[in-house]
Amino acid sequence: MRSSLKTVAVSAVIAMAMSGLAACSTPTGTESSNAPGTDAQSTAAPAAVTMTFWHNGTGDKSLAYWDQVIKDFTAKYPNVTITPQAVQNEDFDGKLQAAMQANTTPDIFLQRGGGKMADMVKGGQVMDITDVVSAATKTAYGEGVFAAYTTGGKIYGMPAALTPEGIFYSKDLFDQAGITATPTDIASLNAAVDKLKAAGIAPISLGAKDAWPAAHWYYQFSLRECSQAVVDAFIAGSTDLSDPCWKKAVQDVADLNATNPWNQGFLTTSAQTGAGSSAGLLANHQASMELMGAWEPGVLGGLTEDQEIPADLQLFPFPAVAGGQGDPSAMMAGLDGYSCKKDAPQACVDFLNFLAEKPQQEGYATAYGSLPASKDATGAVTEPSLKSLLTGFQNAKYVVLWFDTSLGQDAGNGLNQAIVNLLAGQMTVDQTMAAIQSAVKSV
Amino acid sequence: MGLEIGLLAGPAIIVFVLFVIVPVFVALYYGFFSWKGYGPATDFVGLANYKWTLTNKDFWDSVLHTGLIAVLSLLFQGPLAILLALLLNQKMRGRSLIRVLIFVPYVISEAIVGIGFSLMLQDAGAVNGLLHKLGVDQTISWISSPKVAIWTLMFIITWKYIGFAVILMLAGLQGIPEELSEAAAIDGASYWQIQRHIMLPLLTPTIKIWAFLSLIGSMQLFDLVYIIWGQYIAATAGTSTMAYFMAQNGRLSGQLGRGSAIAIIVFIISLIVSLGYQRFVLNRDTEGALTDKK
Repeated sequence: MRSSLKTVAVSAVIAMAMSGLAACSTPTGTESSNAPGTDAQSTAAPAAVTMTFWHNGTGDKSLAYWDQVIKDFTAKYPNVTITPQAVQNEDFDGKLQAAMQANTTPDIFLQRGGGKMADMVKGGQVMDITDVVSAATKTAYGEGVFAAYTTGGKIYGMPAALTPEGIFYSKDLFDQAGITATPTDIASLNAAVDKLKAAGIAPISLGAKDAWPAAHWYYQFSLRECSQAVVDAFIAGSTDLSDPCWKKAVQDVADLNATNPWNQGFLTTSAQTGAGSSAGLLANHQASMELMGAWEPGVLGGLTEDQEIPADLQLFPFPAVAGGQGDPSAMMAGLDGYSCKKDAPQACVDFLNFLAEKPQQEGYATAYGSLPASKDATGAVTEPSLKSLLTGFQNAKYVVLWFDTSLGQDAGNGLNQAIVNLLAGQMTVDQTMAAIQSAVKSV
Repeated sequence: MGLEIGLLAGPAIIVFVLFVIVPVFVALYYGFFSWKGYGPATDFVGLANYKWTLTNKDFWDSVLHTGLIAVLSLLFQGPLAILLALLLNQKMRGRSLIRVLIFVPYVISEAIVGIGFSLMLQDAGAVNGLLHKLGVDQTISWISSPKVAIWTLMFIITWKYIGFAVILMLAGLQGIPEELSEAAAIDGASYWQIQRHIMLPLLTPTIKIWAFLSLIGSMQLFDLVYIIWGQYIAATAGTSTMAYFMAQNGRLSGQLGRGSAIAIIVFIISLIVSLGYQRFVLNRDTEGALTDKK
């Protein structure tokens, strides 16, 4: 399993995703002679170093994971002290941006890559780690994985997890509604929605209050409707949305919305906060499906009464659409990774390389319930829904980075907002398309 | 004398200049740049940010919502606060308790009020649950339906801020000498005649000050909306305010230059409203008392 992790696909497509921002290949044969590596510490007594670290692991398991990682790291580098701070995911980007403006950027921070990272790099806030990623890490990851963290030919972040997306569902609720096979196309998805409704179960949970979960339905429909070439051009920075597939995808979202498949009050439901969030509804069997990335099992595990991932959680790939130009195996994904601030101490790079080692990668995948970025660590993926996701990822013909991440904050928010307005009945299909076009052009 | 004035007013003037006047000019400067907040602003775009804002439908919607909230706050809270103040100005049993109950919401932090109401008013929340138990079949989308949401917000604002209005009115009422109403009573005036012809006219300066504070509060309204509707959907639900629009399209979008331009436009709108109110409403009370006009 681990050897076949589809980093080639990530390389091919996420690299293209980044090509609008920069030349995308990771430099080869440039390992620095002073790369810190795992045992490259100086033997002289090093000066005491204190670093701050922001991550988004607010669940018990991820908090425990970071405590352990920091303990292990500081045991190896006794002169280093790391002060971690867990920031709720939805608050993270704003808080980091404010810190960067106030010149109080943490030394180590969660990095989502794409256009958002490119803005930080342009503002001189992130350390170039191209030459200090250890050779061992580069081998374990494969170069492609670094593409999402590459801009201007330089690497600015260390990937930690791959987060491809699919539809997570509760097997028990599907059984209860008499659904015997998972949906493979939109017609069978609609049929499943009808059966679930008839059984008195909310079919799909949606946290539209945070906008992006709603917009991901549009991303996925676009991935199915548009050809690989059209999607690649878009990710590479094209603002031309004249191909009819883009509008068809809006129409697909509108058609699905017309069947009223969502949980009651989806517009004011948040994505991950508390048992009443869309993730909480799925976790506690109050809704039966949710379109989400690989972080979903980890999030769900934090929202159940026993703090365990629901035993009946399973996954199916986003269904095919009739007449779509996209490959039905294509997937959408993001990456979680970590960056150092521009003038962070050397220990920060040591920490990033430490994170990339197999034990830490395995721990990350377990704690976050996600797929590790390192091929060496895929053996740690045991949760059934994640195993399906991993298989889908390995078989995907190509993988595309989230649209909002690649577009950057401003245009990404505009796009997401347009889809929320469509779902709320505030905009027609044409108006939504116009709003998306205008958001994309504002890049 | 000059030294005394300098000593007494100096610190306040320094703080005011540093934290109010200087930021206005800094925002004015950044408003001419496309600036994402990282490093110095270098990408000069002239009036593009102003044009973007003034041609944006969502901006004018937010201005409309803010105006609506300002007017409805005056219409709802004013009469209600006066009635409650007149009631609580009587000697009656339980008066202190009622005063406390009315004032408590004002003391509770906006964050707590926002989170509490957003939980209770969800489609599957406590309020709809109660209504279902009372036999109401329909599920009302209190905060997500654009037709209902602005009225939900008005209810919460009224509940939250009525206590402040009542306290101001009560203070105003208690400043009116008792001899006036006693004399009127001896002359045969009824209770309502006394309230209508003596208390209310003498309460007018207090009402005007309260209305001014209420207007300012409405124009600044941000926290309740942001907490209840989150970062994205207030515009969709029809409750976005000017300050919310500024936060959403400035800081959240990472376009701080544009946010600065919006801040300047909001500042100008607020300045016009405030100066207009002072010139045409407040000034008539202070003429002669605080000015040398007469």
